[in-house]
Amino acid sequence: MKKYLRIYWPFAANQIKSNFVYKGRFYLFILRKFLGMFIYYYLWMAIYASASSGELGGFSRSEMILYVFMSYTISDMVMVGISSEIGYDVTDGSVAMSLTKPIDYRTRLVFKSLGVMIYRAVVPTLFIWIGLEIYKVCKLGMPVTNPMTMTATLLSVLFSFFIYIFFDYCFGMLAFVTTYIFGMNIIKNATLNFLTGRLIPISFFPTALQKIFSFLPFTAMTYVPVMIYLGKYSGMQVLEQLGKQALWVVVLYLFGSFLWKKIERRIVILGG
Amino acid sequence: MRKLSRYFSLYRIFVMQYIKTTMQSKVDFFIGLGGFLISQAAGLAFLYLVFEQIPSMQEWSLEQMLFIYGFAQLPRGIDHLLTDNLWMVGWQMVIKGTFDKYILRPMNIFFQIVCERVQFDALGEILVGLVLVGRAVANGTVQVTPVKLLFFIVSMAAGAIIYTAVKLILASIAFWLKDSSAIMTTAYEVADFAKYPIEIYAKPIQIILMTILPFAFVAYIPSTYFLIDANFWKTIGAECAVAAVIWIIAYKIFQKGISVYESAGN
Repeated sequence: MKKYLRIYWPFAANQIKSNFVYKGRFYLFILRKFLGMFIYYYLWMAIYASASSGELGGFSRSEMILYVFMSYTISDMVMVGISSEIGYDVTDGSVAMSLTKPIDYRTRLVFKSLGVMIYRAVVPTLFIWIGLEIYKVCKLGMPVTNPMTMTATLLSVLFSFFIYIFFDYCFGMLAFVTTYIFGMNIIKNATLNFLTGRLIPISFFPTALQKIFSFLPFTAMTYVPVMIYLGKYSGMQVLEQLGKQALWVVVLYLFGSFLWKKIERRIVILGG
Repeated sequence: MRKLSRYFSLYRIFVMQYIKTTMQSKVDFFIGLGGFLISQAAGLAFLYLVFEQIPSMQEWSLEQMLFIYGFAQLPRGIDHLLTDNLWMVGWQMVIKGTFDKYILRPMNIFFQIVCERVQFDALGEILVGLVLVGRAVANGTVQVTPVKLLFFIVSMAAGAIIYTAVKLILASIAFWLKDSSAIMTTAYEVADFAKYPIEIYAKPIQIILMTILPFAFVAYIPSTYFLIDANFWKTIGAECAVAAVIWIIAYKIFQKGISVYESAGN
């Protein structure tokens, strides 16, 4: 385990460092994320102002404010894509190089993303969460989040990270089929925005669709941690959801390995 | 006049050339188209799900919101279709020095950049926009008269010019900073505000949308002319004025940028 970390940790550390270097780019990135969040914040405020009852889809106005900011920050932190990197590696052939090195390709990518996630967790997310917590207590008059809920939320976020990355690894395998990963990513992001509950809480969907979604890994990427944070699950339900997330991590990991084995046999690299 | 026809025939040649390269991979075309269609579908589904819960949003009905949404897609799609190559200027042409080639040819530089690429992905946006506007016409949300049809076309063109001008200004920043792609993506995020009535936003955001990044004029403001017969001069008229002013500013900045451009050394 120690040896394992010694080999792969530098990939994560490097990402953290290089993220610190490009400061200007980083501030713009944050600004962009804030803009996106505020569009939905104002949209929801207008929606609640026009609603006859104080509750929509099982969310009060205050809960919806928390939902918007939490789902945005969590998905931005957790969704560190690796499929576009796989795309580049496949199109320019450098994936062949990683076959010759005694380093596992996927593990390396996971650690690189881990670096990005740690960076994002510390720099914007933590501050937004603290701000949100203060806002929640002072402005919305809700109680302080208890430590148990907080721990469960963080654990759930960590699971989300692994679910997303193993999913994105499987998705990246499409690079062996088409070279237009940019277009594929647009399709993926649009679909995920919807299915993970980032755009609108899953409870707004018709019940039949909600049933189907519960059999897919996507709600486990954003919706579940936010719902845990909001205290929408009882103690038993929290454990059940966490167990489900863990299961998805394993399933997607195994599926990724299976795909890679299949594809490895048919890789043809141009040039020499 | 002769110059104009020369540019038209040049444009045709460039576009044919570009189409040939994209034809190598028809799958990519459908992926790109599908991507933008699905993004649009997600935005629409959001509106539908929300309006399941509420009858209207600050006086706007679902049908009217759909019209505004569709109306917003059209100028954006037109701009996306025709001038997508400007992204490349902000992203890598200046930093890599490939911008050199434009300066060497005896043609308008802006024209050269624009005609090098036609982004067919944008047909997804245009298609959604047309369907939503057509739907609004069919169910009587907006009335069609010859005058309105004419102003609709004018408004589309002016809206597309505003988009292009903003993009040109931001891409030109690369002449000073070498890479302005991050600034461009941020501005595009702001453009998303335009899909909904601007009254829902806080005052500072409204002011930004009407001045620095005038995206309020590409969709919401002109669409009120068609929806509730708002004053022509305050809607379409204002849109055209904004388009003219921002285009002149953008082109000046672009020319200034070229004059300070220095190629990447080797």
